Amino acid sequence: MFDGLTLLGDGLMHFLTPASLFNVAWATLVGIIIGVLPGLTATMGVALLVTLTYPMPPDQAILCLMCIYVGAIYGGSRTAILLAIPGTPASAATTLDGYPLALAGKGGLAMGLATTSSALGTMVGILCLVLLAPLLAEAALNFGSYEFFWLALFGVVISGRLTAFDDPIKGYIAGILGLLVAMVGMEGLHAYRRFTFGVPALGGGIDLIPAMVGAFGLAEILVVMKRRVAARIVDASDRVIPRLAEVWKYRRTTVRSGVIGTIVGIIPGVGEDIGAWGSYAAARRKSAERDQFGKGSLEGLIAAETGNSAAIPGSMIPTLTLALPGSAAAAVLIAAMFIHGIRPGPMLMVENAPFLYQVVAMLVLATLAITVYGLLLTRPLLRIMTVPRERLMPVVYVLCVIGSFAITQRLFDVYVMVAFGVVGFVLREMRYPMAPLVMGIILGTLLDVNLRRGLALSNGDVSPFFTRPVSAVICTLIVLSIIFSIPVVKRRVTSLFTNARRTTAGRD
Amino acid sequence: MSDAKNGQPSDAAKSSLSEGLSPPQQAPGIMERADLLTGIVLLVLGVAVAWMSWEMPRLEVRRIHPATVPGLVPGLLGLTLAFCGAILALRSVRASADAAGWRVFGGIFVSPEAGRVGATLALALIYALVLVGTLPFWAATALFVFAFIVTFEYAFSASRSPLWRTVLTATVQAVIVGVTVTLVFQFGFLVRLP
Repeated sequence: MFDGLTLLGDGLMHFLTPASLFNVAWATLVGIIIGVLPGLTATMGVALLVTLTYPMPPDQAILCLMCIYVGAIYGGSRTAILLAIPGTPASAATTLDGYPLALAGKGGLAMGLATTSSALGTMVGILCLVLLAPLLAEAALNFGSYEFFWLALFGVVISGRLTAFDDPIKGYIAGILGLLVAMVGMEGLHAYRRFTFGVPALGGGIDLIPAMVGAFGLAEILVVMKRRVAARIVDASDRVIPRLAEVWKYRRTTVRSGVIGTIVGIIPGVGEDIGAWGSYAAARRKSAERDQFGKGSLEGLIAAETGNSAAIPGSMIPTLTLALPGSAAAAVLIAAMFIHGIRPGPMLMVENAPFLYQVVAMLVLATLAITVYGLLLTRPLLRIMTVPRERLMPVVYVLCVIGSFAITQRLFDVYVMVAFGVVGFVLREMRYPMAPLVMGIILGTLLDVNLRRGLALSNGDVSPFFTRPVSAVICTLIVLSIIFSIPVVKRRVTSLFTNARRTTAGRD
Repeated sequence: MSDAKNGQPSDAAKSSLSEGLSPPQQAPGIMERADLLTGIVLLVLGVAVAWMSWEMPRLEVRRIHPATVPGLVPGLLGLTLAFCGAILALRSVRASADAAGWRVFGGIFVSPEAGRVGATLALALIYALVLVGTLPFWAATALFVFAFIVTFEYAFSASRSPLWRTVLTATVQAVIVGVTVTLVFQFGFLVRLP
């Protein structure tokens, strides 16, 4: 425990240099701008900026990317409140109460509370990160091939189940497609080249960064340009800095939403958007002013903004300790860490323990930065929102082309970006979620190698996959999650419970 | 339980389909038709992947363990994908029976939205696949930015400003973006541009 505090202090001191603080300042601002602009998401921002941070030292590079991530998730709330369009998918729940508040002339208060809630939510998440990550990392040291196979599968399945819009099978299909993408190229056990069709460039596999820039960049540009009308900004001229009493009044909601957001963040491949929806639903169930939700409730706004921000540190828990991305943006962060020679996973605490606490310090600094920017920069951020998309999107696309080209300097990666952009757009239009696809691409190798290595260790016997305790638990979770996504089963079980309740009620 | 036995199965199937498959902003039946087509594509893709995995060398010469053949995981994934594709297609068959619905479905490909997407995609593809690599990077970028702005501010816009103004401002932005981006990345971030 004491070791942890010392390392945390070291982590904070490490970044209290002019160069680091300068990086925090610009990266968080860029993140907020990315979040404010509809069509630019946190995942896309992190993926694009990997290129810019390439020449930096590893700690500074990850610092910048982390600030962009936190800034973008926060920035989306601005657009949600004033335009009723979520700046990033994470702010979708914020629009429900934020926009009615703005229409009622409380836009400033909504923006202020969104800022403090985001900051408090991140802090709750950071606390959980500090407490849970070392424990999980220690437990994970005992994991073998069998457990890692199931964890990889769990990541894809649970992400497919929970991020699908209304149809779990589409989430699963997106996950399988991602896993298949990861099968392309040389495999890890026998160095055999799979599905390369004689193309030498495919031998190394498909890189995550160009694929993400396509699926979250070009695909998003196509979605934005498809819309015919542009929305109008609501005027907000009331006070932005909230009173302490207003923040204190909803302390229970803040803590509850922070914890829910963190837990959702920990679930692999399920990120900020679900964190916000989960906290919003819980807040409405517990609230005394339930009927106000959706009509401009401060509590609903606080729940949504706390929930999505808390999911960021939450998502870093499995990302750092298991190399299992907690969200789509965290998947890109893992790719960036590998580029910079940092290997997340159970060995991180053994090989590079200070790094975990440096990540905590990065999150603290980013949170401070969003609070300062959020409360002070109201007017300039308003102006950014009015940049017409016809003028902005071509520039974004130019950056997508550079971003996918720059890391390995080959045009092949630009083609990968374009292909993923087109396929990503088509999938999105048919309501397939993108997060399971990302999870599949990043976890495919882990799943493949560990399944076959496990089988080789047990001499072809599959029983260790089911009899080892941790394996058995994860396997059960996967099976239950799949069974409950079948509509018939779900309906039967629900009716069973309601029937039982009705019978007991009848007896009374 | 008794409800399920007495109720008509077709009604149950219909209600499960209409429960939330189609997004609210679209006409009913469009998503089912899209699902039917994708289901068939995924089924074919899954079977093809499974077949290629089966045909993959088993590396017997190298005496590897037979449970670690390279085709194992892709094969399993291919079969699962084919299974999911089949479910998706079968579930949508009933809802896609009438011919009139297919005409509505075809209509979304000639809508104004489809035109906007098509134009964006055409510009994006020409820039990434043709212009970059043949022209100097700054010129390719300037040309793309110019074409994009003029297309959407003039050809696709309801409230048109005069053509000369669009062309003038687009030219200015195109040259600024092309030159700045090239300079910043080439000399600021030391990226060798195509």
